[in-house]
Amino acid sequence: MAPFSYDPALEQAIDRVERYLTDSYPLSRRSVALLLLQRDSEISDRVRAAEGNRYPAVEQSVEMGRSVLGLRTDDIIAVRLRSQAAEIARSVTTHPSGTRVSISDALSRLTMSPITGLPILALALWFGLYQFVGFFGGGTLVKLLEGGLFGQHLNPWMTGLITRLIPWPWLSDLFVGDYGIWTLGVTYAVALIFPVVGTFFLAFSVLEDTGYFPRLAMLIDRLFKGIGLNGKAVIPIVLGFGCDTMATIVTRILETRRERIIATFLLSLAIPCSAQIGVMTALLTGHPAAFGLWVGIMAAIFLVIGYLTARLLPGESARFAMEIPPLRWPSFGNIVTKTFARMQWYFMEVLPLFILASVFIWMGRLTGLFGLTVRGLTPVARALGLPDATAETFLFGFFRRDYGAAGLYRMRETGTLSGNQLLVAVVTLTIFLPCVAQFLMVKKERGLKMAIGMAAFIFPFAIVIGGLLNLCLVALKLRL
Amino acid sequence: MAIKAAQFKAARRFGEIIRGARRTGTANVESESESRPKLRIIVVGNPNVGKSVLFGRLTGRYVIVSNYPGTTVEITRGRALIGRTEFEVIDTPGMYSLKPISEEERVARTVLLETPAEVVLHVVDAKNLERMLALTLQLLEAGLNVVLAVNMMDEAEKIGLEIDFEDLAAKLGIPVIPTAALTGRGIGELKNALHETACR
Repeated sequence: MAPFSYDPALEQAIDRVERYLTDSYPLSRRSVALLLLQRDSEISDRVRAAEGNRYPAVEQSVEMGRSVLGLRTDDIIAVRLRSQAAEIARSVTTHPSGTRVSISDALSRLTMSPITGLPILALALWFGLYQFVGFFGGGTLVKLLEGGLFGQHLNPWMTGLITRLIPWPWLSDLFVGDYGIWTLGVTYAVALIFPVVGTFFLAFSVLEDTGYFPRLAMLIDRLFKGIGLNGKAVIPIVLGFGCDTMATIVTRILETRRERIIATFLLSLAIPCSAQIGVMTALLTGHPAAFGLWVGIMAAIFLVIGYLTARLLPGESARFAMEIPPLRWPSFGNIVTKTFARMQWYFMEVLPLFILASVFIWMGRLTGLFGLTVRGLTPVARALGLPDATAETFLFGFFRRDYGAAGLYRMRETGTLSGNQLLVAVVTLTIFLPCVAQFLMVKKERGLKMAIGMAAFIFPFAIVIGGLLNLCLVALKLRL
Repeated sequence: MAIKAAQFKAARRFGEIIRGARRTGTANVESESESRPKLRIIVVGNPNVGKSVLFGRLTGRYVIVSNYPGTTVEITRGRALIGRTEFEVIDTPGMYSLKPISEEERVARTVLLETPAEVVLHVVDAKNLERMLALTLQLLEAGLNVVLAVNMMDEAEKIGLEIDFEDLAAKLGIPVIPTAALTGRGIGELKNALHETACR
């Protein structure tokens, strides 16, 4: 039954423990005994429950085994397992003779070394994000859909239809008013977010399929060590660029509570998700300096806050090794499937929320609460050097960062925002909580207190940073 | 058409995760399907060795798959028809060892502890047999019916690696199947081996 044996002292200890196990287990008794000897708490709980009053005898045999083997029990087991595995593997494999450096190996190394890796990342951001998503998705496609299809054809037709069907303006506003379900919710989702997020997901899937992300993670890992977050935390952070909510779940792979908290906090604070990156980039298109500053400022906030949090929460960081898959040509089928699956997922995620937001705003306007809140936020907008109308977009931003950003989009098109104002607004919105779903996930994974604590820090912090940024821009007389 | 349905399911699954409809190994499996007893396969292995792609190949269900570790943190269930036998296939998050360190590994082991299965399909990366066979040995130690899929053979061959599968199967005493989940290579053989092991 046993595929191999350990050294005699350990075998004896296993035997002894096995003899005291009477219940039947899903794993063999040998395996249970080994896990008990390694002080696996989940297994000992199960054995305690199964053996009842016979458990003390089991426990005693484990203690005895461990005292004979000394503190090295875990190591003895791990080392033997590893050497046995390596021996088998070596005896069945023939390694290639002579290692020649292929082009893909060389390229792979270039992406991971900081000196060449950062410029490559910058190139990927510039062409993949700024040019393709920003100009093509956020510019050309949005113009076609929002300006053309919706602005000139669908919306006037829909407005005409609804106002004829519903003669009461207070009710027809719900569907086709300034903030209506159709004119705001559906239009934002389909005409604005859809092309931006679609092109983003396409670029994202191409990069993902080539195997670039694990390399990016290796690159970021070096930065992480500096801020006291180690290795594995790269995984949820990089996934956060896809979806913060998803990434918040993935913080589970981190071993210590400390790392889970830091990673969750950084995700909530400084990592814009795919949709948000797309929309924010599209907003800053045409202001390349502002785009560069946005990336720089977010990276700086991430590093400083990460460093400070790591200082505040002392503890060990875990070791980590990651598999790097080979670089390869992306496969067309994979890209299409992934892009569609993601777009569909995103759509299901945001459309209901946008519609709900329209309903809330409609109710808020009927009761006067909307105006009150917007007026309350107006001084905030002014403090950031922004036009009063941006107060509304901050309110939208409480639902989702990208929803707020979509609000700015319209203002940008009418030319009411300067490059400086766009940057201040985009930075502030990026620091906001990612979205309602992510907040709920933080609550689920880290508890209500932690979720509220993070939110209570993040919103004021966002506004303070936005304000400071505005002051700096004014003081330096920069015009972006 | 099939692709569309699969995408929709994937999207829904993503949504489910986000809404927190967690489905862990503790759920009672029988109650959610019809009462007919089914054979069960649990897919385990290190992170990022292609478990989810293989799961997709077996069940025809598309799960968002990424060549990035940690993408699967929850359990996914699906059905596979192999020969004329219906199997339930369970995909688990990555695990390095039978003794878990992180939460995701714990999730994977809990499935092994709480869900009786006819076959445990251990997926390994052909390029890293040395490190990965340790878990195979632990699974064998645990007395489970293991089938070993040596995956990513396409990549292994590209770097000129050769593996003697007959020898490996003899040394471990279990079926060993070379696969390349991405291209679909070896899936037929793998299905046969799973079927044979389950019905033994």
